Amino acid sequence: MVQKSLKLILLAAFVLVAGIKFSYAGEVDILLQKLVEKGVLTAGEAQEIKVETQEEVKKEIAQGKSASLPKWVQNTKLKGDFRLRYQDNHDKGAETDRDRARFRLRLGLESKVNEQLLVAFGIASGKTGDPRSTNQSFQDSFDKKPVIIDYAYATYTPFSWATLIGGKMKNPCWEPGDLVWDTDITPEGGAVVLTTKFNDKLDLFLTTGIFLIDETSSTGNDPLIGVIQPGFNYKVTDSIALKGAFSFYDSNNIKNNAIEYGGGTNTKKSGSSTLYAYEYNAIFPAFEISVTEPLKGLNLGMFDVPYACVFGEYVLNSLVEDNNSGYMLGGKIGYQKIEGWGQWQLRYNFARLEKDAVPDFLPDSDRYGGKTNIRGHEIMFDFGLAKNTWLGLDIYRVQSLSDPRQPETLVQVDWNLKF
Amino acid sequence: MKNISLILLCMLIAFFGFTFFCYAEKIVVEGSTTVLPIAQKAAEVFMERNSGADIIVRGGGSGVGIASLLDGTCDIADSSRPIKDTELDKAVSRGKDIKAHVVAMDGIAVIVHPGNKINAMTKKQLKDIFTGKISNWSQLGGNNEKIVVVSRDTSSGTFEAFGELALNKEKVRPDAIMQASNQAVATTVSRTPAAIGYVGLGFLSSSVKALEIDGVVASKETVLSGSYSIGRPLFMYTNGTPNEIAKEFIDFIKSEEGQALAEGEGYVGLK
Repeated sequence: MVQKSLKLILLAAFVLVAGIKFSYAGEVDILLQKLVEKGVLTAGEAQEIKVETQEEVKKEIAQGKSASLPKWVQNTKLKGDFRLRYQDNHDKGAETDRDRARFRLRLGLESKVNEQLLVAFGIASGKTGDPRSTNQSFQDSFDKKPVIIDYAYATYTPFSWATLIGGKMKNPCWEPGDLVWDTDITPEGGAVVLTTKFNDKLDLFLTTGIFLIDETSSTGNDPLIGVIQPGFNYKVTDSIALKGAFSFYDSNNIKNNAIEYGGGTNTKKSGSSTLYAYEYNAIFPAFEISVTEPLKGLNLGMFDVPYACVFGEYVLNSLVEDNNSGYMLGGKIGYQKIEGWGQWQLRYNFARLEKDAVPDFLPDSDRYGGKTNIRGHEIMFDFGLAKNTWLGLDIYRVQSLSDPRQPETLVQVDWNLKF
Repeated sequence: MKNISLILLCMLIAFFGFTFFCYAEKIVVEGSTTVLPIAQKAAEVFMERNSGADIIVRGGGSGVGIASLLDGTCDIADSSRPIKDTELDKAVSRGKDIKAHVVAMDGIAVIVHPGNKINAMTKKQLKDIFTGKISNWSQLGGNNEKIVVVSRDTSSGTFEAFGELALNKEKVRPDAIMQASNQAVATTVSRTPAAIGYVGLGFLSSSVKALEIDGVVASKETVLSGSYSIGRPLFMYTNGTPNEIAKEFIDFIKSEEGQALAEGEGYVGLK
């Protein structure tokens, strides 16, 4: 007991000494050495005190630096990205190609209200009337371009494993590709995301949400989509991971409603060109298998591939008898994230999406204009130029399932910058 | 509408179900593969004594563990290196009060295949091998064979510590074989006659040979006295004062019994 008290006093003294004059570190070492020689401390205890004191002082220096910044700055994160794009649409049925130069600017802010509450919003280039794009074309005699609210939401995290989200949010549902959801869509409503570590290899997650598609004041039958997505992350080995989810989607009041910004390919009610004929009650399993250093044993040096993955998605709308399913299969090789010069990633996918598999206002808008009733290929290549900047090439070759003689080729060349 | 009500009901059930599941006295320990054997052994004994405790232990590297601690996805981060300034700044910006607990000491042993003629080298020679200035064992009096350098990957605290203590932060040669764990390094060296690698003391076995560095072999005495120059403390980091179970677990590891378990795994105890 006396020895323990003495050690605590010594620890306090060392924190004080080290905090006042870090340059006295050599003298602290000498003192500890003396105490070891005299048998007051073991060599191990001396090391323990010395190292923990150093760590405590390091932390206090970091906290001191931070305390000099205003609190709101400490609690706020700002980030964004800018993209320049050249795009060429070659539609076999059209007389000429459509070439466009475009840009995309996105700026997002996230600020902590308190330990459990957070507010985030993002603004972007683009225009209203296109929920699946934040691109802005160079056009209209150098006219100034609009800024839109891309997302605005709050999160409440009462426990480390539970997050409640409300507002216009980044899509909380996981999807390895973009068969069902365009990556620019920010759904509106509420969601709950639960995560937990089941054991040292398996993480579980459960995402549920209700997304309001529209507000129809005339009828009160507001269309919405509900989703439940249980999933898992499983570490098969140190280098192989498997992620999977089985989603259940259910819509309400899409049938007999006119929904804006659709691709025009879902079946409409007889006698109408705007009222949807069906609801959507879909199952949606998806998986992704990723491998780090898949060619490790071959010693390929600079030609080594650090990462590879294959993924797949399948969707089936059980409320429709025909033309009700879709799937995507694809893969990636290269670097998992482009973080510097020379890092690269090659991606490919094949997708087939039947007419009424999913609502036609959801799928990737670059794939045949975001329509359903399509099949086609996509190949993408990214190449790192330096930290936070990379070139990208994306090529789609997609055709309608009803009229395969009219395929569309879309080529996009991008210069991306992140800040 | 019936299905939407079902979804809402599922959300409520899931929320309360998870509440019950997650409120079991569970802690997650994640990070360094060097500290992993200590954490695993201690967790095994601790859970036998405390039936209500559920301790999940996993590796991934020191960097992964500290990142998880900052994200709030683990309770204790194992690390075989001190927390970096950039990580501390991130912790402070997120309002985390990171606390360091030294749980053992370790020596990073430099290993070769048992059939290698070389038994000792200087620290400068070691640095020159790993940075590419020496490429053949014959330059050190060994066989005329190209040296196969085996290193840990960049998320590893052992990699960081070796880089700082042995290489003066110079870069490892680009053709080095990178491995994800101490065990993987030991296995590769044991199967490759011309290989050289480095592992924590606890991963030495008869299938590899530890070299003398500047005339000193890594051992408990030489690591604690500082005469072996590639020695380091092993940490468990928590966010502020740990919760009850985590505190009891760390106290157990630092106790006489816990330190005996660490020594049993080949590390250097503090008692």
